[in-house]
Amino acid sequence: MTDDDPGTVNMARNARLRRWPVGLAFSLPLVIGLLMFTAYPVGMSLYYSLCSYPIFSPPRLIGLANYQELLRDPRFWLSLWNTFYYALAAVPLGMVAGLLLALLLNLKVKGLAFYRTLFFLPTVVPLVASCVLWNQILNPQQGLINEGLRFLGLPAAWTPGWLTSETWSKPALILMSLWGCGGGMVLYLAALQDVPQELYEAAALDGARAWHRLWYVTLPMISPVLLFTGIMGLIGAVQVFAQAFIMTGGGPAESTLFYSLKLFDTAFTEFRLGYASAMAWVMFVFILLATLAVMKLSNRFVYYHT
Amino acid sequence: MPRDKRRFLHVIVAQVVLVALSLVFALPFIWMLSTSLKVPDHIQSDSVDPIPKAWFLPRHGRLVRVRPLGIKHGQLVVQWRGGAEKGQTVPIAPRRLLSRPYLDWRNYAEGFQEFPFLRYLGNTLVICALSVLGTVLSCSLVAYGLACVPWKGRETLFWVMLSTMMIPGQVTMIPLFILFRHLGWINTILPLVVPTFFGNAFFIFLLRQFYRGIPVSLLEAARVDGAGDLRIWARIVAPLSKPALLMVALFTFINSWNDFLNPLIYLLNDRKYTLSIGLTMFQGQYNTEWGPLMAMSLVMALPIIVLFFLTQKTFIQGVKLSGVKG
Repeated sequence: MTDDDPGTVNMARNARLRRWPVGLAFSLPLVIGLLMFTAYPVGMSLYYSLCSYPIFSPPRLIGLANYQELLRDPRFWLSLWNTFYYALAAVPLGMVAGLLLALLLNLKVKGLAFYRTLFFLPTVVPLVASCVLWNQILNPQQGLINEGLRFLGLPAAWTPGWLTSETWSKPALILMSLWGCGGGMVLYLAALQDVPQELYEAAALDGARAWHRLWYVTLPMISPVLLFTGIMGLIGAVQVFAQAFIMTGGGPAESTLFYSLKLFDTAFTEFRLGYASAMAWVMFVFILLATLAVMKLSNRFVYYHT
Repeated sequence: MPRDKRRFLHVIVAQVVLVALSLVFALPFIWMLSTSLKVPDHIQSDSVDPIPKAWFLPRHGRLVRVRPLGIKHGQLVVQWRGGAEKGQTVPIAPRRLLSRPYLDWRNYAEGFQEFPFLRYLGNTLVICALSVLGTVLSCSLVAYGLACVPWKGRETLFWVMLSTMMIPGQVTMIPLFILFRHLGWINTILPLVVPTFFGNAFFIFLLRQFYRGIPVSLLEAARVDGAGDLRIWARIVAPLSKPALLMVALFTFINSWNDFLNPLIYLLNDRKYTLSIGLTMFQGQYNTEWGPLMAMSLVMALPIIVLFFLTQKTFIQGVKLSGVKG
């Protein structure tokens, strides 16, 4: 009997059908989990976003009033601006830093394993511990960074106030996020090592300079990883929360009031659950649109080797 | 050959740059460690000096540690911290003081006194252990159902699962809070632990890839021998996928150790705190005393750093795998 014998196919299909109870039984945790911890809350969240819901009385439908209020809420716009500022600086800078580290390590230097471990280590430190640490590092008077700047000869008056300054608070958090660029580096390094050597040899024969080899060979070959880290980084950065909650509480002058922090405050200190749900949906739609846009854009720039 | 020479030069330059960068990346760690071992007045006066120091005074040809108390009549009053006169004070000329390397463990003693480390550690470990159990068990069962049992609908379920990974936690956060409040689960570890028994999209994805690599003939042979699916899962698939399951366990452990938002929402009583919430509250009370703060941050980070060094290969492998699906 061969595979395309109708009898076999039928038997195989029947076997498949008979096996579904087993397959479903094994997948049951996932099915229940998706219904209970994803589908149900996502639906309820959409419903709450159309309600006035102060936690101690039941939700009452008010239509789109929450969304309308958002448009008028200056703190909503401020938190949006703060979040974009942070995400649009931290993600590209982190990617460039991670890529530079990976390119350096890809030069077949001695001690690669040591450097890779060291650069990766900051991403292993629990976020709360690194927040507490960086809170001191960024201290304008005795912190490591300003002491270092003064040590290098910068006049004390010129050293930034970092988390105590309205202008420097976001750059301070971006600087802190750069300490964790080793996560991307590991991915880029793995991708770089997969680029076929023949491509570089061919490019060299054609007289391509190092800069051209980077631009026309390396970057296109690792572009899928760049796209992936870009999207994931963006999704993570627009949800930035703990840094602001622990280090600044949103200050000074609400310069680090990020979107998630405002959402958390609205839900768990003001107990306006409907309004907070509307905020969550705005974020959800934004993430969806941004991801779609990046994917669309990437069709032009990303090269899939296989 | 000139080309070799240029390449050699490049490597030298790269090596120098790498050494400099290593220092930049390592400095925060060094600073955390040295601040945690410094005498309080040295933290303020000399915060960039990486070597912890204390004040000493020559006494009968030996250096004895002293603690400066303040200026009185143009003289510095210091207290002996060792030797025969320990505890007594003496006025001296300030320039007689000598600064010498000294590790002060006082910050750790003080930290452990104010910060109920062991209780928070216990709370954290219970949550971590149950989460690891729940995640490994549920994800490996589901992955078996999606990879090793042919049935109609498994592809659909798989794609639905993958698409839920796009949903930010903020969307489900509020309805889940209300659900758990109705169930009376606030201020218990249940909201942190129970969901882990219902699978995790990313880990199921990872395990499914792994299970698909197991030869079908192996599973068929077991089936012919009369083994049921549960038996095949327990006796063949799970043992063969030990490295992948270990990876899932490792990442789940670290995620729950580091989790901040969920414990913040659900654990309201300081007897229930995890290390990450405890440390945050500790910082709130102690934000001017850097020594104990750095000591306790280090103590919280150390187990994860040690775990990372012990499992480095698995760890880096897992990070790479997380990037593959892009």
